[in-house]
Amino acid sequence: MASTGGEEEDASELKLGEDFLKAKCLMNAEVALILEKKFETLQQLSEDASSQFSQVFEKSLQYVKRFSRYQNPEAVKQVREVLSRNQLAEFEVCVIGNLCPETVEEAKALVPSIAKKDRMDDEQIEQMLADLATIKKYE
Amino acid sequence: MFFHIILERNLQLHPRYFGPHLRDKLVSKLIHDVEGTCSGRHGFVVAVTAVENIGKGLIRDGTGYVTFPVKYQCVVFRPFKGEILESVVTMVNKMGFFAEAGPVQIFVSNHLIPDDMAFQAGDVPCYETSDGSVRIQKDSEVRLKIVGTRVDATEIFCIGTIKDDFLGLTGDPGGAA
Repeated sequence: MASTGGEEEDASELKLGEDFLKAKCLMNAEVALILEKKFETLQQLSEDASSQFSQVFEKSLQYVKRFSRYQNPEAVKQVREVLSRNQLAEFEVCVIGNLCPETVEEAKALVPSIAKKDRMDDEQIEQMLADLATIKKYE
Repeated sequence: MFFHIILERNLQLHPRYFGPHLRDKLVSKLIHDVEGTCSGRHGFVVAVTAVENIGKGLIRDGTGYVTFPVKYQCVVFRPFKGEILESVVTMVNKMGFFAEAGPVQIFVSNHLIPDDMAFQAGDVPCYETSDGSVRIQKDSEVRLKIVGTRVDATEIFCIGTIKDDFLGLTGDPGGAA
């Protein structure tokens, strides 16, 4: 089985290959905002808009709509702020933003890299998850 | 995972389009050419969001076509080995099940489904625990981990697992997780 972009790739250790190392990651909620806006603009331009969208676009839009944890653009911004404050890598920010782990154990299982090299202790992780839960509650 | 990245592409344009709408034509050609495509290196190009820069055109010898280097921002979906994401089950059979996460298809073999879940044939084939408390069928929402990827000319295909902590069913068919 050929691996994409070299043998080293492993998201759990943040090895994403050079093309994506510095790329900006997007949470599902952010992608939903971008795609919906594009969808609306194109629909206004022409009546026969549905035929203009590729299957990839439609599938992605459906997917991000279904799995967006935050609907409100303000909330999405706040989530990013909370996560960025904790010096997480872009990729980690987005995995947590997408999956919304509820416990420290879960967060460490989903994003093993946050617990490595003493980057964050359990208390810090717990505080971060609590902050996220608050945003979701008052969205 | 979705990414916002900058890519570059050379576009060839016929001289009949040279005029006041040259830029518009280039942008629409770009969108038409790249949206929906897939490469092993950058993944699926979902949407072009902005055109950063259009370079100087170069006339091709013999044909009259002009090549423009175009730099653009786009949203791409690129799955990574080791990534954990949510997906929707599309098909279940005795070999395992197929799920979709956006444009990408993921296969979870029955070896990578927890041992306490067994395949049940019938009208709605599913994987179920013996006490019936967990049931994975078409349209279920499943959280899985990608363990391998395979690249085709026009598609990326993934192998996933749900045999690990905090993986597996997150939502029932139709219901919001």
